[in-house]
Amino acid sequence: MSIIYVLIPIAILFVIIGLSVFFWAVRARQFDDLDKEGFSILFDEERKASSKTAEKPEDKPGQ
Amino acid sequence: MSTERCFHCNEPVPAGLNFTLSFDGQSRAFCCVGCQAVADTIISSALADYYRFRTEPASKADALPEHLLSELSSFDAAEVLADVSQQQGELTEIELSVSGISCAACAWLIEKQLRQLTAVQQVNVNSATARCHLSWNAEQTPLSTILQSLAKIGYQASPFVADQEEQQFKTELNRFLKRLAVAGIMTMQVMMLAVALYFGDYTGIEASHQGYLRWISLILTLPVVLYAALPFVKSAWRGIKARQMNMDVPVSLAIYYTFFASAYATVFNTGEVYFESVCMFTFLLQLGKFFEYRARARARDATSNLLKIMPVSATLLNDTEQQIVSARRLNGGDVILIKPGETIAADGEVTLGSSSADESMLTGEYAPVAKRIGDTVLAGSVNHDGLLQVKVTQPLAASRLGQIIQLQQRTLSQKPAVLEKTDRLARYFVERLLLIAAATFVLWYVWLDTDRAFWVTLSVLVATCPCALSLAAPTAVTCALANLNRRGILIKNAGVLDVLPQLSYIVFDKTGTLTEGRFSVKAVQLFSPELSQADALNLIANLEVYSEHPISKAFAPYLTQKLPLTDVDIQVGAGIRAQYNAQQISVGSAAFCHVNDTGAMVYLSIDKQAVAAVELQDALRREVPELLQQLRQGGYKLMMLTGDSSSQADQLQQQLQFDTMVKGCSPEQKVDEINQLVRAGHKVMMLGDGINDSPGFHAAHVSVTLETGSDLSKNQADVVLLQPSIQLLSALLEGSNKAQGIIKQNLRWAVGYNLLIIPLAVAGFVSPYIAVLGMSFSSLLVVSNSLRLLKK
Repeated sequence: MSIIYVLIPIAILFVIIGLSVFFWAVRARQFDDLDKEGFSILFDEERKASSKTAEKPEDKPGQ
Repeated sequence: MSTERCFHCNEPVPAGLNFTLSFDGQSRAFCCVGCQAVADTIISSALADYYRFRTEPASKADALPEHLLSELSSFDAAEVLADVSQQQGELTEIELSVSGISCAACAWLIEKQLRQLTAVQQVNVNSATARCHLSWNAEQTPLSTILQSLAKIGYQASPFVADQEEQQFKTELNRFLKRLAVAGIMTMQVMMLAVALYFGDYTGIEASHQGYLRWISLILTLPVVLYAALPFVKSAWRGIKARQMNMDVPVSLAIYYTFFASAYATVFNTGEVYFESVCMFTFLLQLGKFFEYRARARARDATSNLLKIMPVSATLLNDTEQQIVSARRLNGGDVILIKPGETIAADGEVTLGSSSADESMLTGEYAPVAKRIGDTVLAGSVNHDGLLQVKVTQPLAASRLGQIIQLQQRTLSQKPAVLEKTDRLARYFVERLLLIAAATFVLWYVWLDTDRAFWVTLSVLVATCPCALSLAAPTAVTCALANLNRRGILIKNAGVLDVLPQLSYIVFDKTGTLTEGRFSVKAVQLFSPELSQADALNLIANLEVYSEHPISKAFAPYLTQKLPLTDVDIQVGAGIRAQYNAQQISVGSAAFCHVNDTGAMVYLSIDKQAVAAVELQDALRREVPELLQQLRQGGYKLMMLTGDSSSQADQLQQQLQFDTMVKGCSPEQKVDEINQLVRAGHKVMMLGDGINDSPGFHAAHVSVTLETGSDLSKNQADVVLLQPSIQLLSALLEGSNKAQGIIKQNLRWAVGYNLLIIPLAVAGFVSPYIAVLGMSFSSLLVVSNSLRLLKK
């Protein structure tokens, strides 16, 4: 059972990493509007499919 | 398919219209040109995904009127822009308040639309608060272009300056979220270790392993007690300093006493540890607080577009040269030009031109007030259809609008305080609990068993731990808030639920609250048999399209068919004239139409022959008589305070029979009337919608406003009704009574349980284990009882 002397500190390390990622996400305003983020996955998928045909040519002249 | 609905806004398509577009291989119908134009822009800019994924229909898109376009360009003046935005190097950052956002797909649509502009560097739309944070290069693309590109897809945006309080709300909310995460994640970890320790107690565990697990639990609990539970300690400390025991005193006491007792047990390797209870207790309480705070922050965000009514810009006349300046920088003696449809930027005196103004926001009277040379105009009122030149008499801050806002801030501190019941109970309870614990310790230490004294005292404190007591009210309130919110009632101040069940007097404002706050057609009198009523109204509506006057809006629903009109001529304050089928059509006052005045408000004549007379009125909301009947049966006294001094107030009193009615009230008088009621010992609710009501909001115990109300009143009110129906008032009263009932049950249980367990604990019959079980069980019971409030 002495393995717990190694494993539990490792688990705590993961907890610390998880918490710092969460803190970063809060600071990056990712929790400001949860409704919108839920939708973004739908739109992004669609955009990748159509970007090659519709969007890229539009972007180019602007740059 | 009896009625076809608009593809864009889902409103019924009027018969005989033919606005269509092809989308996804199907022909779609639209209700108006505006919606069609918007949908065309959206589809042709490859943003059609919006229609595929949206969950709510869009709001009806009106074609952007000319005067609005010119208003938009006023934001381009460097001075005005500087007032509403921040400069970050080359980029300008601004917060826009966007109207028309109905679901998350709108946020996506707006972001996409704005990113197509090359000058836009960053854009972030929050669909919950209807705000858009934008950073862009203002030299490359003026703000008006950006606002126009939003208008093209059907959203109207205006600059918004978030006040400091809102910023604090945001950072505080983020802090809540972090604390919640720390408490929650640590609870999981410590709970896992606790399971190992529980099993160890039954099946045997090596002393070294037990010690190790306890130390790890101690370390994991440290962030919870030192960070997540901090707000409780702060609040408890504030309470103690003010010699006011609040609920946070026993809460912090329980958390820290349990923590230190467990730490003592860990360090000296004796007794029991309760780290998991410490973590879970903190987590549950933080969760309740977080939900309450988030509801408040949302309510604030959604209703705090306060500065929108403060005029932003004005057109300054300088030796016949026009210059757009910031409204805040106007001084007495400046001459400004006010175009039709514009908000008047300062109090002043008309020096040229004639028009009428809508002062309803300030006075509560809806009928437009005629303005001629020499008349005074008020900042914040809206100019209707004439061009005015106004000599400013006072800067914005000293204007009537500024005064009302000041009056409001003064009354804020006079809000009648309602002592929170649970706090009173807590004070009573905590004092006795501490006495009992101290007495128990002395009893055991001196007379009974010195060794057990510490642990018996601990179980007294844990068993009587005020978890259930402190969860009793907050959980019930949280659930009630959520339920009412779902029914369209936004409660910004949770303390309201405490007061509502004791309410005795309800004060109503008239215009916009009891009535709809806009004109509608009451009766039509026809003088010639040639035209039917519908045709006559359609004809009037066709002419009124050209007018900014509030009366013209009354006819908008009657526009069934577009007629080709030529030579349209608008006479300010009189009427409109146009040519149709080689006939001269006039709509307006009796004199303007050359007919005999029969007391109606609008006349229609064809070639100077009277055709129709239309009576208009500000109609009573349909649900009002029934609601008042219900309230009267519920034993409430009703009162009407109105700024209107016309006979309509008397008519309404005749019809609705209020217990008291005062007409022609200034905002100050409204405050006085309410103060009198409060002094007479009544619990008063004020229901209103205008700026003139908002000072009264603070004088009353509870204030309610409608979503259609002014932004200022929404900002100040405790409760906002989100649907255009004041019938929700009875749902609010019912909901608060129910919540009160649940809170009482919870408190009874918590107090009863404590009375039962204290003697047992003092006698030493309750081992700390049983104490924890009992505590958890009674907390669970209280929480699940509160959850019943969520049901419809």
